[in-house]
Amino acid sequence: MAAVFNLNHHASYVHWHFFQMSVSNVIVIVLMLIVFAVAILAPFPKGGSA
Amino acid sequence: MSAVEERSWTGRLRRRAVAALPPEKLLPDKQPSYVASWIYVFGVLSLSALIVIIASGTILALKGPTWWHFTGVGHFFNSIHLWSVELFFFVMVIHLWGKYWMAAWRGGRARVWITGAVTFLVAIPCALTGYVSQQNFDAQWISTQAKDAMNAAGIGAFFNLLNFGQMYSWHVLLLPAAVVGIVIAHILLVRKHGVVPPFVLQDKAAGTPQPAPPPAEPAATAADGERSL
Repeated sequence: MAAVFNLNHHASYVHWHFFQMSVSNVIVIVLMLIVFAVAILAPFPKGGSA
Repeated sequence: MSAVEERSWTGRLRRRAVAALPPEKLLPDKQPSYVASWIYVFGVLSLSALIVIIASGTILALKGPTWWHFTGVGHFFNSIHLWSVELFFFVMVIHLWGKYWMAAWRGGRARVWITGAVTFLVAIPCALTGYVSQQNFDAQWISTQAKDAMNAAGIGAFFNLLNFGQMYSWHVLLLPAAVVGIVIAHILLVRKHGVVPPFVLQDKAAGTPQPAPPPAEPAATAADGERSL
């Protein structure tokens, strides 16, 4: 079964001094940070007050 | 209370369990109003992902590797199992960040925090043993690399990464049982102690002077204290 992305090449890495991480991991971590910020800042729907 | 009821271990256990977790605490229909924030949703999201992991993993275990490698439905459930694990770690890490920054161990909740942290640590080898249980060349490659990592860490005598039977047992029985057991303890402790309040409410309860709220903000009413679920 074909993958959505072409996986037939070496993985891409971010390399900056001692820091080295695959681009896919960097994307996931950045997404987690964005979702974390949205979870704190986004208003929660009202309703159901006792 | 009869003398038999007083002496029996079942009676004593029941009384202790009901005292620690009365039914209205175990299955509440209201939560404090401060729980109405998206950051409080990530605990139950982690639990939901875990349920999908267990359900899809059970189906994979029942059907076997030929099914998950060579049939369309097998591929589908294999993918569901992988992506529910990805989602589980994604939301669990956000849950962990949220609880870390609100210092969720406050107010006698140390065991709640510890069981959550241990769940995270146990879930990691639970997921990693899944990679070596796939029954394909990918799993063979990962197991030989991981074997060297175990040996380098000095724990290679306890785990044989090249032994599929051993890794599969860790993956489908021992580690999932540990994760589910600790998660159940975690949830019961959350029910017992309640969701940790924000710093500002704890300080108010302790009588610490608070900065005045901005004038535009409406004052909280008694009705704001709790929300129905």
